[in-house]
Amino acid sequence: MTTRRDFLTTTAGAVAGATLGVGRAAAALKAMTVVRESSFIKPFDDYFAKTLATDYEKATGIKINYEAVSVGGMLTRLTTIAETKQGPEIAMTALNWPHLFDASLVDVTDLATEIGKKIGPWHDNILDAVVVNKKWKALPWGNIGQLEVYRTDWFKEAGVNKFPDTWEDLLSAGRLLKKAGHPFGFELGHGFGDNHGWLYPLLWSYGGREVDREGKTVLIDSDETAKAVDFCRRFYKETMFEDVLGWTDVNNNKAFFGEQISCTNNASSILVVGKRDFPEIAKVTDHAMNPQGPKGRFHLLNPVSHAVLTHAPDVAAAKAFLRWLYDDKQLSRWLTSGDAYYAPFLNGYDNHPMWGPEPRYLPYKESLKTSRLHGWPGPPSHAMSESVAKYVLVDMFAKACRGDSTKAVIAEAATQLKQIYKAK
Amino acid sequence: MIIGERTFGRRLLRLYLPLALFVVGMLFPFYWMLITSIKPNRELYNAKIMPLIVYQPTLKHYVDLLYETNFLTWTYNTMLVAVVTTILSLVIGTMMAYPLARMRFPGTAVVAIGVAATYLVPQPLLFIPMADIINRLELGNTLTAVMLTYPTLLIPFCAWLLMGYFKSVPRELEESARIDGASRWQAMARIILPLCVPGLLSAGIFAFTLAQNEFLYALIFLARSDVRTVPIGAITELIRGDVFYWGQLMAAALLGAVPVAVIYSFFVEYYVAGLTAGSVKG
Amino acid sequence: MSVRPATLARTAPVAGPRPALRTFLEREGIFGWLMLAPGVLFLLGFVAYPFFYGIFLSLQERRVANPGTFVGFANFVTLAHDAVFWQVVRNTLVYVAVTTVLKLAGGLGMALVMNQAFRGRNLVRAFLLLPFIVPTALSTIAWMWILDPTFSVVNWLLVHGKLITSGYSFLGNATLAMGSLIVVNTWRGMPFYGITLLAGLQTISYDLYEAAAIDGATGFQRFLYVTLPVIKPVLIIVTMFSVIFTFGDFQLIYALTHGGPANATHVFSTLSFDIGMSAGQLGMGAAVALAILPALALLIVGLTIYLRRE
Repeated sequence: MTTRRDFLTTTAGAVAGATLGVGRAAAALKAMTVVRESSFIKPFDDYFAKTLATDYEKATGIKINYEAVSVGGMLTRLTTIAETKQGPEIAMTALNWPHLFDASLVDVTDLATEIGKKIGPWHDNILDAVVVNKKWKALPWGNIGQLEVYRTDWFKEAGVNKFPDTWEDLLSAGRLLKKAGHPFGFELGHGFGDNHGWLYPLLWSYGGREVDREGKTVLIDSDETAKAVDFCRRFYKETMFEDVLGWTDVNNNKAFFGEQISCTNNASSILVVGKRDFPEIAKVTDHAMNPQGPKGRFHLLNPVSHAVLTHAPDVAAAKAFLRWLYDDKQLSRWLTSGDAYYAPFLNGYDNHPMWGPEPRYLPYKESLKTSRLHGWPGPPSHAMSESVAKYVLVDMFAKACRGDSTKAVIAEAATQLKQIYKAK
Repeated sequence: MIIGERTFGRRLLRLYLPLALFVVGMLFPFYWMLITSIKPNRELYNAKIMPLIVYQPTLKHYVDLLYETNFLTWTYNTMLVAVVTTILSLVIGTMMAYPLARMRFPGTAVVAIGVAATYLVPQPLLFIPMADIINRLELGNTLTAVMLTYPTLLIPFCAWLLMGYFKSVPRELEESARIDGASRWQAMARIILPLCVPGLLSAGIFAFTLAQNEFLYALIFLARSDVRTVPIGAITELIRGDVFYWGQLMAAALLGAVPVAVIYSFFVEYYVAGLTAGSVKG
Repeated sequence: MSVRPATLARTAPVAGPRPALRTFLEREGIFGWLMLAPGVLFLLGFVAYPFFYGIFLSLQERRVANPGTFVGFANFVTLAHDAVFWQVVRNTLVYVAVTTVLKLAGGLGMALVMNQAFRGRNLVRAFLLLPFIVPTALSTIAWMWILDPTFSVVNWLLVHGKLITSGYSFLGNATLAMGSLIVVNTWRGMPFYGITLLAGLQTISYDLYEAAAIDGATGFQRFLYVTLPVIKPVLIIVTMFSVIFTFGDFQLIYALTHGGPANATHVFSTLSFDIGMSAGQLGMGAAVALAILPALALLIVGLTIYLRRE
C-alpha cells in the first residue's frame, strides 16, 4: 500500500541481517572474553588487556578480549549473563557470589588444588567465599581490604602518636580531633564498601553476631550487640557530623581531600589518588588496622575472583587460560602492576616484593587473617546477600545514631533478619 | 494574559522578576558544571574559598576528556541512536495516533488503553526478558539493541501526545478532502499532518530528549566502550570505585548538553513559526 | 450534511489498477488496523511479553541462576508484612505527589511568563529547557556537589552571609534528603511542563483574551475560562506521563542517596533494584516493581476514559 512502509521493512530487515551476519563471522574466530569490574588501579586493567592478553595470544593463538564493567555494575552484568546464558566465558565474581551463581559456574577444584600446591596454601578464610558444597567455583586473585585511613599530622597535633588500638581509644582521640576542627567521617549511609567496612567489624569485635553458623537462629538480639550499638551512637555523636548518615562511598574520599575529616574507613583508594593528585595530603596519610573491641579485632573480607560460566562453548580452553593466568610467572607480575591494591590469598606470596615499595599498604596484608564475609558466621548464602542489600546492619547502627533507642533498632533488625533467613 | 505591558513597573513584576528567578533557578547548576569543569583540582577541593568563581581556570579536564576517553565516539553513538529512534517512534507513533484519535472502529478502545498500559511496566522489571530477546537476536553490544528497545518508551509517548494534537483538528477538513476524492491516506498525509507539525515537532523533541537520556538499557546492553552512549560512558569510565573524576564529568555533561540545546533552539524557532502561522482555530 | 465516508470512497474517481483492493483498504476498520499493526506488534513483542514474564516472575520464588518455584502470592504477602516496604510506599507517594504539584505550578508559571514578548525570548526558551535535556546521570553529579554540606555553594553562601552557623546536611538528614531529591526532580522536570504548556497557551488567539477583557473578566477569570479549557487535554497528558516517569524514577535517587539515610528516600525502583539485582531475588524484585501497578493502572485507565470522552 505504501512505499514508505516497504522502505522501513526492508531497511530493518537489512540492518538485522547485517548484524546477524557480523555476529556469526565473529563466532568463527578463536577468542574468549573475560569480564571484570574495571579496576580502581587502571594499570592493572591495562596490564591484563594489553600485556597478558597479547602474551597469551602469541603463545596459543587464542584472542582474549577484556570487557570492563563499571564499578557496582558487575553483579547486574553477571545476573544478565547467567540468566540469558550468553556472553563472556570468564567472569569476575566477588564476595559470596560463587554461592549465588553456583548453578552457572564450572567446578574448578582441580585448578585450585594445583595452584594451592604451587604457590599456596590458600588462606583459610577464602574457602568460605569460593567453595560451595566442597567444590571450588571460583579462583580468587586478591582481597580489597578496608582499613582505617587517617591524617598523621592532625593526630600528632592532638597528642596521639600511634593509631589507637581499641575502639574506645579511637573515640577519645576523635573527641580531641573534633574539638580541634578535624572531625571523623565514617560512612553510615547506603554505600557499599566504606560503611560495611567498619560496621561489621565493629559488631563482631564486641561479640555481636547476626545469625548462627547454620543460619537457623538469629543471634543479633544480645547484650553484645547492644554494647556495640551504644558505642556507635557515642562514637557518632562525639566525633562526627550529621551528613555521614547519608554518605555513599564517594563522600568520604571527597571529604578527606577537602581536608574536612581526619579519619575514615576506606580501601587504599584515598592514598593512591592522594599520591597522584594531592601529594601534600598523601604525605600525611597512613593506614591502620581496625581497632579491637572487647571480643577481638576484625576486618571485612572483600575477595575478588574469576569464575568460568557453564555456557562457555569451550570450558577446557577457559580453564586452560586460567591455569596460565594463575601461574606464578603471570600472576606475580600482574599483581605487582596492581600496586598492592589486591592482597593475594596465597601464602606463597606472603613475602612477595609487591609489598616492598609502599610500607603503608602492609596493613592490608596483615588484616587478611582477621577478615570475614558480611553475615559471618552465618552461611554465605543468598540470605546473606539479601541482608546486605537491604542494609539491615547499616540501618540498625544509623538509626541508633540519629536517636532511635537501642532496643528498638535491634528489634527491627532482628525481625528483618528472621524474615530474610527464614529463621527463628 | 495581556502581552506587552507598557509600564516598566508592571513589566518588572510580571516579566523580568519571575523570568530572572526561573533563569537563575534552572541554569545555576549549569553554571556550576561550567566552573567545575574549568577549576583545577586544588581549587575544587578547597572548601574555604569562594566557590562561585574560578581563580586559575584550566582546560585540562576537557583535554583529558577528549584524549583519554572515547567521548567523541560516545557522542556520535548517542546522536545516532537518538535520531534513529526518534524518527522510528514518530513514524510509528503517528501511525498509531491517527486511527486512535480520529476513527472509531472495533478495538480502538482496547488498543488505546493497551498503549497507555505499556507505561505501567517499570523498566527494572523489563530488562531481564528484554536482555534475553536481545541476546537471542545476537544484538548484544550493538547500537541496534538500543535502537530496538528505546522505542518501547518512546512510541507510547509519541502516540499519546500526537493523539492530543490530532484531536484538535476539526473533522470537516478531513471530510471535505475525502469528498474531493482523496483517499484516507492522502487525507491524512496532505491535510491533517501538515496542520500538526507543531505537535510532531513537540513529540519529536521530547522523544529525542528521552532517547538521549536513557540509562538502564544502555547500561545493560552496551558493555564495550566503543558502543557506549555519553551518559553510560561518562559514568562507567569517569568513575572508578569511589573516585569521581569530577572535572571531566562536568566537562562531559556540558559538552553533551550544549550542542543539543543549540539544535533545540533552532527547532523551537521553527515550531513557534508553525504554530502562529497555521493551526490557530478561531 | 453527514455523508458516510465509505459511500464516498466507492463513488470517488479512483486511479489505480485494482479498485477492489483500494476500496477494501479504504474501509475504516482495515485502514485503521493496518496503521496500528506495526506499533501494536512491536509493543506486543517488546513490552507485553516481558511484562507477562515479569508477572510470572513475581509469582515465583526465583533466585538468580536458579530455577524458580511457583509460590503464588507469597512474595506479595511477605512484602505486606515488611515495614521497609511500607516506608517505600510512603516515600514514593510523597515524592510523586509533591514533585508533581511543584512541577505543575512551576511549569505553568514558566509558561505564563514566557508567553510574553521580549527580546531574546527564543534564546531564553532554549536555555530553560536545558535541565530536561542534559542526561540525568550527568546533571545528578553536579547536584551531588551542590548538596554536599562541606562543599555546597548554598551552605557557603548562607554561612558567609551569616544566616546560619553550620551547613545543612542536605543528604544526611532524613527530611532534608527527601526535600533535596524533590528539588532536583522538580528542577529537572519543570521545563517539560513549561514548554508543553507554553505551546498550548500559544494556540490561544489574542482576540479571545481581548473579547473576555471587554466583557469585564479579570486576569484570573480570563485564565480560568479562556486559558484553562484549551490547555486541559495537554495538561492532563503531560501530568500523566510525568507521574508515571516519576513513579519509576531511579537514576537520580540511586546516585544521590541510594535510598538512604536509613531508607528515608528509598522508593519502589531502588528497592526493586536492590532486591532483584543486589540480593539476587528476582521474584521478589519483580513483586516490588509490580506493587505500584494497581495505583498506576487506576490512574491511567481513568484518564484514558476521561480523555476519550472529550
